[in-house]
Amino acid sequence: MESVDGAVRTLPSIGRLSRGLLFGGVHGRVGLSPSSRLLPPAPPSQENVDSQKTTFLLRKQWTLYSVTPLYRFSDTHLKDYARLLSAFIAAEKQKGLAVEIGVELGIKVAISSLPDLRGSDRDQAAILVQLSSRSPASPKNSEEKVIWSGWFCSVSGDDFSENVPEDFTCLPLFLANGAESYTSIVGSWFQKTFDCCFRRLAISPLNLSWMAAMWTGCKVDKTASAMELVFSVPHLPQPLDISYAIHPEDAKALWDTVQKTPGEITQEEVDVFMDCLYSHFHRHFKIRLSATKLVKVSTAIASAHCDGIIKFLQSQYLTGVLMLLTELAISQIQ
Amino acid sequence: MRGFLDTHRTGQAVALGEDQRPVPLRKHAPGLGDFIMDETVAEYIRRTVLKIPRDEIKTMLQKWGFLSEAQLQTINFHQLKDNISQDVVQLCEENSADIKQAAVLDIIYNYIYPNKRVWSVYQMNKTGEETDFFDLTDFKKKIKRRLRSALKNVTITFREYEDNAVWIRIAWGTPYTKPNQYKTSYVVYHSQTPYVFISASVLKSNLPLLCQALVVASNYHDIREMELRSHSLNSLKDIVFKRYSQNFQTYYPKPLRERDVAPETDLRIIQENKNEKERIERVNREIFGDGPQPKLEFAQYKLETMFKSDPKMDVLDKKEPFRCLVKFSSPHLLESLKSLAPAGMADAPLSPLLTCIPQKARNYFKIREKKGLFPGSFVSP
Repeated sequence: MESVDGAVRTLPSIGRLSRGLLFGGVHGRVGLSPSSRLLPPAPPSQENVDSQKTTFLLRKQWTLYSVTPLYRFSDTHLKDYARLLSAFIAAEKQKGLAVEIGVELGIKVAISSLPDLRGSDRDQAAILVQLSSRSPASPKNSEEKVIWSGWFCSVSGDDFSENVPEDFTCLPLFLANGAESYTSIVGSWFQKTFDCCFRRLAISPLNLSWMAAMWTGCKVDKTASAMELVFSVPHLPQPLDISYAIHPEDAKALWDTVQKTPGEITQEEVDVFMDCLYSHFHRHFKIRLSATKLVKVSTAIASAHCDGIIKFLQSQYLTGVLMLLTELAISQIQ
Repeated sequence: MRGFLDTHRTGQAVALGEDQRPVPLRKHAPGLGDFIMDETVAEYIRRTVLKIPRDEIKTMLQKWGFLSEAQLQTINFHQLKDNISQDVVQLCEENSADIKQAAVLDIIYNYIYPNKRVWSVYQMNKTGEETDFFDLTDFKKKIKRRLRSALKNVTITFREYEDNAVWIRIAWGTPYTKPNQYKTSYVVYHSQTPYVFISASVLKSNLPLLCQALVVASNYHDIREMELRSHSLNSLKDIVFKRYSQNFQTYYPKPLRERDVAPETDLRIIQENKNEKERIERVNREIFGDGPQPKLEFAQYKLETMFKSDPKMDVLDKKEPFRCLVKFSSPHLLESLKSLAPAGMADAPLSPLLTCIPQKARNYFKIREKKGLFPGSFVSP
């Protein structure tokens, strides 16, 4: 447990500082970014603190949603919720709403808590929902296979949670992996049961450029994959996509000379970083990337698509990425 | 197993005999009383038929010519494709189809749908000036000999088309394993030109052997990949055979015309905008021409050039190159590049790195800084 303490110990300061950044009057409207953010938390000194419990979250595509606070949700009743949700899914399937064919065998619902996934102890522990079924081919022997998973979380979203009335639980970020039909069934059950509201969380080009800069600066192994920016050029008779991949060492070298403010990243630094990359590109191709739309950012840390799809690639930076996503989810709710 | 496992010479003789026959292939009787069609052949024909759009199956089978018109009459082409394919397989069994016939059907499909594959262009070179008479029979014989002596198990099928193109389908095996009919390489060779279009299979290891066989068979000295790739075989041909209209040769950047000076600012701005628009259109026309562009889907640049930043910015001042990989992709790349400047997304003229694609006949580049040149020039158009 020492290692978990270590993780928690490093984080409160981040939570405190980000509050100022989040609600310090710099922004508040949906889609706007704060003018500065903290550097992503450094990986904990202990070896892979909670990686064991969170590795299953890595290298999967998660679709992002923002969720308004849950009314009268209690994490002491997770087993009951699982039972109720299971009955709800069975009923929905009977109505023929679910499109899956051939999954006639019952779907098992498990709801559990992921206590490691939070920024500070003032954050609500993350809640994981998993739907699993046995393969119809060999129902007896086969292991249960997870067919859909989704999780609610809040990493350093405590400023938001402090401002909601009692009886409400703040888990503003929801991530789903699996068939959309299950996402909609599970979502509608939560919506109905806890009077909350789900909305797809798109990531603006501005926030994508934040991610590009923040993640480029993170330290990873030597064999790190390239930092790739994907742009789409709108309104052409023929669509055009441009992938601009930069060697991770060179991207980091550039970022390290751009990033000058100690302990935090400013909007200006992000802009300079992107402008530098754009002008290098322009020097070669005479194309203005600033006039195109940044649609995807991939780094060794994570990849993010503007449609609100994310893939986590490094467990030690999981909470760092979630912190930013929690912030985006909160600003969408507000 | 074929006879050529024993001696190459007999093997070649057998193979040659079959290949001199013009397409469509004969309906052969192997001379065994009750010949049962190889299951893998049946499955291969079935899967090939399934690839064909339903309303084209009949015409393609007619082109194949392996089934008689009377046999084709018995097939209901309005039923599910799966059922059509079963019926076709059954008729093929009656005719005792073997892999040679199945391979011809695959060539016909690929000839009609070349865009399902990615094609690379190769150029062959001669040392001397001598022009040889191209003998197709000799060409085929040499290709077969080369490939078979190395691999023993390999299915090689030829089909000639009207435009002087020879289509070659190769299914690769090893001395110990049968050819894999699902991982084929395709070669399209125009005998009057030094160009070869190759769609390699996933089994890339055989590519050098294939290139060697092509060089030997066509009496060239060597072969090199041109770094020009596309799904559109016809566009690749347009580019290397210079069949498209592009007046890039005549293009030299011209100095801007003196602008008319209007007394009022608004008018001047309108006029300048108009002039700029006209200039972009003119430059674009000069570079891309008026006609449709050849169809390419991608272009790739590996950049190893210096990072040059505004000295005021005080960022990255490194002596080593800044390593990037830039990929452009579009259903119709050159058309979308052409529309960039008019849409305000790029300068006019566009970078020669992009506009040189058809002229240089390549879409894969490695760009390094040219020493001693003014920054901004990487390649000369």
